[in-house]
Amino acid sequence: MITEQDDRLLRVLLVDDDPVEHVLLMRKLKTARDISIELDYVGDIGGAVDIVKSGGVDIIFLDNRLVPNNDFRETAPQLRNAGFIGPIGIISSDISGRYFEQFREYGVDFRIGKDEIDGAAISFIIAEYTREQLSETCSEDYL
Amino acid sequence: MPVTETVLHLGPELERAVNRMDFFRLFKSLAGSHGFSNFGITEILGEEQGIDLQHVHALHNFPVSWFDDPKQQVMGKTDPVFVRLQQSCAPCVVDIDQPPSSVLNSSGSRSAVVIPLQAATGKRHGLIFVGGESDLSHQALALIALDSSLIFQRYFEVILSLDSISGLSDREIQIVRWTSEGKTSAEIAIILGLSEHTVNSYIAAVLRKLHVVNRAQMVASAIRSGLIT
Repeated sequence: MITEQDDRLLRVLLVDDDPVEHVLLMRKLKTARDISIELDYVGDIGGAVDIVKSGGVDIIFLDNRLVPNNDFRETAPQLRNAGFIGPIGIISSDISGRYFEQFREYGVDFRIGKDEIDGAAISFIIAEYTREQLSETCSEDYL
Repeated sequence: MPVTETVLHLGPELERAVNRMDFFRLFKSLAGSHGFSNFGITEILGEEQGIDLQHVHALHNFPVSWFDDPKQQVMGKTDPVFVRLQQSCAPCVVDIDQPPSSVLNSSGSRSAVVIPLQAATGKRHGLIFVGGESDLSHQALALIALDSSLIFQRYFEVILSLDSISGLSDREIQIVRWTSEGKTSAEIAIILGLSEHTVNSYIAAVLRKLHVVNRAQMVASAIRSGLIT
């Protein structure tokens, strides 16, 4: 599990078939205070799976619809099958579809509209998904 | 003030909210739609503890730089917002300049909107908005309070009420079973196709529901209760 105590940069992978989104996210990351992130970008799910298999990715922002795939229900499980156990967030210009209600069943941790992403939202995501949720008494050493 | 059912926090997203990230989005949308840049919500614990924004149920988008100690993220017991929350259950605008709020003063605002909220279990919470209009009409304040209570009620149903629910969901039972087999969170994440964070979220929820403090107790309690065999 990634922790805030790690000194290295958090490595975020953006998977989006529109390169413009990469530029936009980079700009938004610059407005996120108190965090240090290294942003990687790939345009298709096959490339994302390759990167995940090579290791080192902390969080994935996954575009809902990646041409020629359907939605996250098809792509997110591929990342899980590749052994990725970090957080996956679905980003989309429209997250109103009812199928988004099942996102956790497909191994997704959160969803967010592209228009909702700003520095504060990114700071919260990083804080939320890097914090320890279980106390020391619940560490696996107690098993 | 343009508050209609088309805003995110009053539309279908309110019913669809299932995790803390969703509620962060809803409260952020609420703040933004009323012209505030920052919000914070947390449980009001006691006179000596002040406002703990690192509490397990706290949500906020206050920059870390606002806090003297970023790892503690506490507003002290003399903070005017905390004093107000101790003394009143009514929504209000609080002067954060005199006496000064050491945390909220960093917003550049001279006042904050404070909405006291009470969960059905009796626990008190405080929702704070800063970075916006300080001269609010009664009507505007009432609208903020109403919207706040609607989101808070959903937050209670989905997140806070776990403390008083005894049953486990199918997914939670799956995770307890795998834990009883000696699997770690990371291993369970791979088996179930989830993130380690999600697995730990489920474990944290089970611990709260069963009123236990570690994995061994969790498994023992689940066996005793007949939740797993």
